[in-house]
This record gives sequence, structure tokens and C-alpha cells, in this order.
Amino acid sequence: MNDKETAAIADWSCTVNGRAVALQLPQARRLLDIIREDLGLTGTKRSCEIGRCGACMVLVDGAPVNACLMMAYQCAGRTLVTIEGIANEDDLHPVQRAFLEEGGYQCGYCTPGMIVSVKALLDAKPNPSFEEVEEALSGNLCRCTGYGGILRAVHRAIEEGQSRP
Amino acid sequence: MLLNRRNSGERWRVRPDGPGKVTGALAYLTDMDVPGALYALVLRSPHPHARIVSIHTEAARSLPGVAAVLTHADVPGLNRFGIARQDQPVFCEDRTRYVGDAVAAVAAETLALAGSALDLIEVEYEPLPIVGDPEQALLPEAPLLHPEGNILHSKSYRSGDAEAIFGQCAHVVEETYVTTRQMHAYMETEGGLFVPGPDGSLTVYAPTQHGFMDRLQLSRILAMPERRIRIVSSPIGGSFGGKDELNVQPYGSLLAMVTGRPVKIHNSRRESVRSGLKRHPMTIRMKTGTDESGRILAHRVRIVADTGPYATLGAEVLNFATEHVVSAYRFGSVDVESISVFTNNGMSGEFRGFGGNQAIFALEGQMDRLAEAVGMDPWEFRRLNMKAADEPGPFGQTIARTDGLAKVWAAAADSALWKERVHLDISENSDIISTSSATFDPKRGGGDLPLWKRTGIGAALVMHGAGLGYGIPDPSGGRLALRKDGKIEASFGFEECGQGLIATLEQMLVERFGFAAEDLRIVIGDSDAVPDSGSSTASRATSMMWKSLSLLQTPFTEKLLTEAANCCGLPVQRLRLGPGGIWDRESGERAIGYPALAERLAEPIVCEASTSYPVPDTDIVGAHYLYSYAAVVVKVEIDDLTGRIRVLRQFHAVAAGPVMNPQGYLGQIEGGSSMALGFALLEESTMAQGQYIANNFDTYLIPTIADLSGPVEVLAIEDLPDGDAYGPRGVGEIGSVGLAAAIASAVRNAAGIFIHRLPIDPALLQEVMPIGQWAVMSDER
Repeated sequence: MNDKETAAIADWSCTVNGRAVALQLPQARRLLDIIREDLGLTGTKRSCEIGRCGACMVLVDGAPVNACLMMAYQCAGRTLVTIEGIANEDDLHPVQRAFLEEGGYQCGYCTPGMIVSVKALLDAKPNPSFEEVEEALSGNLCRCTGYGGILRAVHRAIEEGQSRP
Repeated sequence: MLLNRRNSGERWRVRPDGPGKVTGALAYLTDMDVPGALYALVLRSPHPHARIVSIHTEAARSLPGVAAVLTHADVPGLNRFGIARQDQPVFCEDRTRYVGDAVAAVAAETLALAGSALDLIEVEYEPLPIVGDPEQALLPEAPLLHPEGNILHSKSYRSGDAEAIFGQCAHVVEETYVTTRQMHAYMETEGGLFVPGPDGSLTVYAPTQHGFMDRLQLSRILAMPERRIRIVSSPIGGSFGGKDELNVQPYGSLLAMVTGRPVKIHNSRRESVRSGLKRHPMTIRMKTGTDESGRILAHRVRIVADTGPYATLGAEVLNFATEHVVSAYRFGSVDVESISVFTNNGMSGEFRGFGGNQAIFALEGQMDRLAEAVGMDPWEFRRLNMKAADEPGPFGQTIARTDGLAKVWAAAADSALWKERVHLDISENSDIISTSSATFDPKRGGGDLPLWKRTGIGAALVMHGAGLGYGIPDPSGGRLALRKDGKIEASFGFEECGQGLIATLEQMLVERFGFAAEDLRIVIGDSDAVPDSGSSTASRATSMMWKSLSLLQTPFTEKLLTEAANCCGLPVQRLRLGPGGIWDRESGERAIGYPALAERLAEPIVCEASTSYPVPDTDIVGAHYLYSYAAVVVKVEIDDLTGRIRVLRQFHAVAAGPVMNPQGYLGQIEGGSSMALGFALLEESTMAQGQYIANNFDTYLIPTIADLSGPVEVLAIEDLPDGDAYGPRGVGEIGSVGLAAAIASAVRNAAGIFIHRLPIDPALLQEVMPIGQWAVMSDER
């Protein structure tokens, strides 16, 4: 959001939560601002803005990315999924359901980013080891829960994933 | 009961605010937007201490797209705020006292323009000498930060003549404990939306822990009657005490009223760090003596707290620390003197635990040292000196009687973790007789543990007061109604900051009255719609909701049943409340649904209750009447090569009356203890010359999932004496208190080093490798 940014407005398009999106944007605009301000998807949260807390985690072509660290030109033409795009039409995603049932959240501000990271992990590795869970979620800070409920939710999601045919 | 989902059965419920949180659909107050909103930024002092020579805002005002630039000259009412004492400037006039002090604020069409406008404000400062620590602030030659001097508050408590008794003591232990500035680090930084109404009213959507206090404070600043200000204060993305005091609200409100347009503010993390509250750094000197048998005879304490530039709740935090350095031990004689001192460091204020965290770290450290001096098991030493249930509180005041202390003590003694420690200590001592070789140290190596890692187990005992304490008005209350649309509406002036207050209220209404969750509408955090229930602080909200519902149960039930009896032509005594409506006890069928009943009423049924948090019969300000108790046992692993400590396992026994919401209770203890883990091992908001060194989560490290992956057991001890009238005690804070002291105790057990400063410096624990023995061992491996 500086003067240089406004100087270089160009066409930008992406798939966001399954829908084609076309905007006119400064090419250096942060993905976080595109999502929250331009698209009004406020489930993606703003917190540290330096890629340390994971509150703005989104999926870019399936991989978890801190939206505060990515600029428009870096994700143009790619497939983005935010927390609003995780659930199916009228049913929660199993990871969301596990968080709900195990109480893997309190204030909920880190929860969208956390769930996005868990989904990315389990999509890539349905049966991760304990160390892999730790590593995958080390970039998502939660100040409320002490992570106990989050770990229970992740383990439940893993178990339910295995019990599905 | 060990708290977990399985043991809780049907009492483990999905939180009503959960679906919005896991889908991202819930809009926080910093997510809100309205068309035409301006963006606001605040200009803060670059100097921790300076005289303001001049402020020029003309260039900023004339920048196209800038709607307003405000300074102290633009505040229509009181240019000060503070919950307890209004001494913090909204905008500084002629002097700044810390790097968060506000000098000007702007509102502009875009955030970029607001930033440009800030750059155009010219402030000429004359830097003044910086008072960088409280000891320096107390020197006679120190610059005066306030006309009344550099002491915000002092508090003392004396019982007997401790000084004279030290001479008779067989063992005396003296130690200075130091704790540092901890950041709340809520994930959502301060911010909100400020919307002026066409009638000159103002709606403030901004997180706070007491909406009505914000309304009072803003009415003073804006010179507007309170009834024209509406505060919407919930939901909150974490607070932990940090958002109880005003933060951005004065700037958003003033800019909205001046421009007549909605204004958005959302602090960057850097600005949040710079301007926000922190936990008080304290230096606690203790001298404690016992007789030959280990009975404590005298306890002398001196506390110095760094409160930063302005009051906020610094005095109240100090009172709390003064009470909790005494806590539940029988001391014979006590002499406590505490002082809270102004400096040019960051603002210290309210933070979960409220001075108890620092006090218990010091007090429990003293207990471990004394036990060793006497030659006793540390836990037995505590039992010897613990007060019985019918003894008075820390200030000699009468307190509500419970057996909580003895029960948490016993639960810890019976825990598998503590038994493991006792077993290891015995085998260690016998090994010392047989061999001095490190290879036989039962705490070092063995199993999966390499030889450079050692384990140890420690424990701490906690007593924690709830409510604001004697001398501070602490009213509460709530309202139940059957509204026209058929909903049972429960209204309380509390805030949801993540603790699960909405879920707890729903669960109490379901379990106590028999309503179904779908029958209910819970209204909180909106000053236009709720009664003032007091603050959502001091572990008080659950107790006050329980008390209010106790008061409301009979009148509200009677009114509902009487109206239903009239409608159905059945005798009242045949009816009872149930899910969906009023049920006939005889037929076992629903007699009338709540919506049908509401439709037939000319007026909604409304019952309101007023109560107040109980206080002791005393004249000591801050003394509490209700306490929760906890015992924490922890196992740690120390890496000799890096000096790093890893928490392997935790056991918490908590006695706080009946569990209203098992998921919420468990979450409070687990979450609180993770803050204590950060306090013990990681977190330090270092300041140099009044400037924060760590401005974000790259250098201010809070625990990650990798720091907290060990098992945490929480045992809730629910018993209360027969006839207890106070029900559930709060658990919002107590989980954050004991773990740091228990970790220090475990480090002593593992490595033989007493910890007197937090966070624990890894350098203390790094061992110089003994040449020879270790070299051979490493070859073998």
C-alpha cells in the first residue's frame, strides 16, 4: 500500500475457493490484503505480518502459504483456497469437525490458519508421525489453548481419515 | 475427575461460537467494515522521555484525502484515561513518557494516505534523561516522571515482628527473585470500527473486557453522555487482561466524531507491542526462617515493580502480589513491603494472574530452598507449613472455607509424577553411596535418553484470589427473558475473549433449567442490550453468572410456569421447564412450546438479578474472600549441551468448586499453563533505553506446538463444604500461575541449580564437558 504499488496496476486473475476471480491490482499488493480487503474474505486473519504466526495461512496450489508474505504477481493464475473454501457445500470438512468436537480452539483467531495448515498436512500425508505434525504446525501460533485441544483435534482427524473407506 | 472428553460424557459440548470459528465466518470486531470508512493511524513518541517543543499538523491536514488530524487541542473532554486513575494522556500536551505515548492521530481515505499524513506531522522533541529501571527511579536525583513523584503505589502488610524473630531461627534462606516483562501476545491486535450516528451518537466496535468501563471512560474523553455511546465489545481474538484498559478506542472515537464518518483502526503488531500493556517486571527479595523442625517463624518480603509511565491497574496488581507472596502458608510473622514505581519503560498493567505469577514463583522458590536447608522433602515441608481450612487468609482476613488446599496437595503427592520423583531421589541417594560415577545417575541418560540429557521433577502450590477484592466496587448481575419470538434470552454484560463464556452460560442454562440450546439466545458484549455485569476479568465471570442464575432460577421458573398454567389450564405443580417448552409431569408430554407461550403473552417475561462479588470483612484493600487452589507437578528434560529445557509432562490438580464446562475448564488450565511455560522458558520483552528490542514474533518467542507436545493432565477437585453459597470459583487465571515455579523446582531436581530469574537462562544449565570421562563416553556412543 505505498506509492510504488499504485504506480503499477495491472490485470490479475486467480481461482479463489473454486471461483475465477479477476481484479485490477498493483502487482506488489500483498495476498493478505487482496483476500481481506479486495475479496472481503475476513476468515484469513492479520496478526504478525512477517510470516511468523500463521494466522493468514492459505493454500496456494494446495501448499500452505502465509498470505502476508506473498505478492499478487507471485500467485497470479494459481489456485487459492482460504478457510472459507475448506468446507464442502453444506458440510464441514473433517478437520473442521474435529476441531469443533475436540475443542481445538478458544478465541478462534488462529483457528482458520491452523485448520488450513492441518488440511495441507493431511492432504499430503494422511498418516503423519508425531514429529511431522509438530513440524507442520510449528508456524501456527496459538496463544489460548496451549495446543492440547489442537493436537487432540489433529489426532482425531487422522483417525477418522483412516477409518473412512 | 480427570478432565477429558471421555470422562465428561455428554457434558462435553460443542461451543455455540465454534462453527463460526472453524469456518472463518465469525467476524471479529477488527474484521468489520462499512462503506465509506476512513482509515486511522496514531503518531506515537519516538522517545521514551521527551519534552514536546512544538507540534505542526498543517502539512498533514492539507494533504488531499486526509479527513482529520487530531492532537491534544482537539479533545473536547478529559484528555486522560485509566481504569483506576486517569493519568494517561489521550494525546500528550508537552511531554512524552514512553514510546507508546500518542501525540497525534489521523484519519484518511486509505491506509497509505494515513501513513503519509503521519509522516507530514512535525513534532519537535527535546529528549529528556530516561528512567530505565525502578531502582534508578527511586534515587533522589532521578528525574520526576509525575509531579507527585516516581512512586505509583506502596503497600505493606505486617503481622508480628519478623525482624526480631530471625535471630531465633535455626534456618534462614535469603533470595532475590527477578521476573521480566511478559507480553500478552493475543493473536488479534487492538483495533475496531467506530461509527457515528446521525443523532450525534457513537457506536464503538472494539474489544475490551468491560464494555461499560469503556463507555464511562469514552464519555469523559468525548464530553458526551454515556447513553449516547454504545460499546460492542465481543468477540475478541484473545485478551488475557491486555485489552481491559482503553487502547485505540479514544482515537477511533474522536476521529469518528470529528469527521462524522466511520473510522477503522487495526494496530500493526509493532504498534501493539510498543503501546500495549505487559506483565509487571518484579524484583522480589525474600528472607524466610524456620525452627529446627522446619516450622516457618518469619517471612520478610520486599517487592519492587516496574509499572512503566502511567497507572492503569499497577496499584491493584501490586496489592495482589503483596497478598500472594504470603498466600496459604502459616508464617508466624510476616513483614511485606511493596512498591510500584514509574519508569520510562513500556506500560505494565493487567495480565492473567495479576501479580500472582511473580509472587508464587518467588514464594515457591523459597519453600524449596527452605526444605533443603531443613533437610525435608519439599512437598512434606509445604504440608507442615500450610494453613488449615479454617485459618484466615493471607492478610489475616476471614475467607470462604474450603478444603481445596489440602486436596490439591494430596492429589499432587499421590500423582504418578511425584511418586516417580520420590523413587528417583531415593535411588539417586543410594547410588551416591555406591559410586560417584555420572553413568549411574538415574536422572541422566537411560532408556531413550542420551547421556547429555537429564530429567527432573518439581512441583508448586498455588492459591489464587478471585474477584476485584475488598474496597473496589464489584457489582454484577444478569437478565433472563422470554421474548416475543419465543426465545429464552440470557443477557450479561460480559465479553467472549476465547475463554468459552458463551458456552459456559449455555451449559448452565441447559443443565440448571432444562432448556435446549436451540431455545436460547445469549446476548453479551453490547452496552445497549445487556445489564452491567462488571468486568470479564479477575476469574469472576463464571462465578457471577452462576450466582445470577441462582437468583433468577426461582422467579423466572415460577413466572414461566404460572403463565403456562394459565394458558393450558393445568395446575402449576404439574408443570416443569424442559427442552422446547413447558412439560406436563403427569402425561410426560410437552404442554406448550416457548414460542406458543410467548405469542399468548401481552408482555415478555423478564427477570433481572443484581449481585456483587463477595468480599471479606476487613479493611485491607484488595483482600479476597474466594480463592482457588492448584498444585502443579512437572517433569523436565535438560540438555547439558544447549542448556535448553523441555517440559515432558504436566499434572495439574485444581480445586475451584464444581466444573461448569469441562471443555472450558480444561482449556483454561492447559492454555494458562502454556503462558506460564513461556514465562518460565522463553518470553522476555527486553527494553534498552526505554525502547523495545523485540517488536514481533520473530524475536519475541511464545511457545509453539513443539514446545507443548507433552501430556498435560488436569484433575478437577470439585468438592465444596456443605452449605457453601458461592459455587464455582474461577479458573481463568490459576492455570497460568504455578507452572513456572514448578519448572524451576524441577530444574533444581535435575541439575542441582536454584533458579531465581525468569525466563531461565540456558547458559546456566550448559555444562562444561569434563574432559576424559565424557570424551570416552562419546567415543563409546
